[in-house]
Amino acid sequence: MSLGFSFVFPFLLIMALLQGGTGLLGTLRGWRPTLILGLISAFIAVTPVGGLPLARWMISFNANFSISLTAILFCKVLEISFGVKLLDKNTLLTCWVFSLTAGVILYPMALGLGGFDPYQAGWGFSWLFVVVGGVTILLLIMKNRFVVVLIAAILAYNLRLLESTNLWDYLVDPFMILVSCIALSSRFLRKLSKRA
Amino acid sequence: MNRRLVIILILATLILYAWPMSSWLSTLGRQPATFATYAPSTPEVDSKPFMVEEFINPDPGTGMVHVGSICELSDGRLTAAWYGGTREGAKDVAIFLATKDPGHPTRWSKPKRVVDRISASRELYRYIKKVGNSIIFTGSGDRLYLIYVTISAGGWSGSSLNVKVSSDAGITWNNSRRLTLSPFFNISELVRSKPVPLNSGGFALPIYHECLGYFPEILWIQSGREDGAIAFRKSRMAGGQSFIQPSVVAYGPALATGFYRCRSDKKAVGVAVTKNAGVSWSEPQTLNLPNPDSAVDAILLSDHRILLAFNDSVQNRENLRLAVSDDRGSDWVRIATLESTQGEKYSYPYMIRSQDGLIHLVYTWHRKRIKHVVFNEAWINAQMKRTAK
Repeated sequence: MSLGFSFVFPFLLIMALLQGGTGLLGTLRGWRPTLILGLISAFIAVTPVGGLPLARWMISFNANFSISLTAILFCKVLEISFGVKLLDKNTLLTCWVFSLTAGVILYPMALGLGGFDPYQAGWGFSWLFVVVGGVTILLLIMKNRFVVVLIAAILAYNLRLLESTNLWDYLVDPFMILVSCIALSSRFLRKLSKRA
Repeated sequence: MNRRLVIILILATLILYAWPMSSWLSTLGRQPATFATYAPSTPEVDSKPFMVEEFINPDPGTGMVHVGSICELSDGRLTAAWYGGTREGAKDVAIFLATKDPGHPTRWSKPKRVVDRISASRELYRYIKKVGNSIIFTGSGDRLYLIYVTISAGGWSGSSLNVKVSSDAGITWNNSRRLTLSPFFNISELVRSKPVPLNSGGFALPIYHECLGYFPEILWIQSGREDGAIAFRKSRMAGGQSFIQPSVVAYGPALATGFYRCRSDKKAVGVAVTKNAGVSWSEPQTLNLPNPDSAVDAILLSDHRILLAFNDSVQNRENLRLAVSDDRGSDWVRIATLESTQGEKYSYPYMIRSQDGLIHLVYTWHRKRIKHVVFNEAWINAQMKRTAK
């Protein structure tokens, strides 16, 4: 199952890039342009280059694009295609803060800072599952839409949609942390310039 | 979100978390994983000292070989694996395998190519730039496990681990499977030491991480499925940047000592102990044995002494010595010099004990050959007596 799913992120990325590129020519909303761009993206994703589909070249260097990043990209593609805004500002802010917090907890220690490795908690039920489950319930009570991403992540984990069998990889990845850093920094700078 | 949807999503969340929780609950009654302590046969009192040296691979000419490992099949045959090519990290590097029939004590089979970057790329369905370190070990029956390194970008810090399983003693192999062991692009995980068998039927395989941090880890492997598929998880032995390439010797269900290659200025063999079957390890200390940033390997003898193979220098790998400790690794007596040639390299020792009580040591010889040294405990005792004189 993970093999088929490995094409999803590259497909969405190609689609988003095509939307970004062709969007300069005019509006691309609606079923017809979306279908055409979708077919072109799928074709590019499976086109073999040097014996490997382009999507698998991407997977060669990062096989586990998180469900959070995939969901953000999916929502962005959907927004450009149909004008449907699934993630409001509050949801995105929650996503950036959650991802950055997870990244700050995970990466320094997983890369050797100290003797404790939080990544270990992602294999099989542990405190990580309790914390993420608790955050999910809390966000549900607060009616924050980011909860859908967290539910998708645990569903994907149970179905082993990624190559990884570790829950952390379904929640965050280095690109997600980078995107979160950029989004939060630009938000901070915007606020700062408004005050000035 | 209306109230009804919120309730439905809360229920969905609880169900989705109940799934992993139920499998965790089912393991609660089970005994925690413990080391299958080695129960070596007591060496015969009148057995004569025995020691034989041989090469496993033919001279590769201008090429190189490195990182040998060896294991014993259920019928007593030996299997060795190593990598070789024109140079370390070259695109033509492949992992080779050779076997030795107990009926032909000095004859190893012609090396057979098991994995190269082309076959790894095909099996893992991704770009592979090169292959590297590998180790081979046996599971139940004639099942063989080959854990090996592949790199898609960069140098050794770009390493990822993969597993390949054979159910017929290495004649045919399943497709390779990638092991995801790091959240950072799944890189910087390497292998080089032998696994410790567990009472559960699985293995505790010492591995190590080298990227921003350099530290030892344990890969816990649970096998048992008919198709050879494995479940795995990883735990940390130590953090920091000083110790890698752990070699673990278990001398009790929960007791083991880990010996480390030292990267720091201390230039001495590192050591740490566990008293809870590898759940936690003591802070690494250094022994009064030098280490020139090179791999060591240790094995338990029948009387629970520990035998260590190491480079006895702070500068280079120009010698390879054996030392014995009878106090679980605190004090050591050097018993034999297996190699010592100025300007040459002897590295990556790897030892196992076969069912007949013999100790098999393989190591990289001049970066050209994989050397196999076989000896018995009587030879070790004779060396000790000679040293005492």
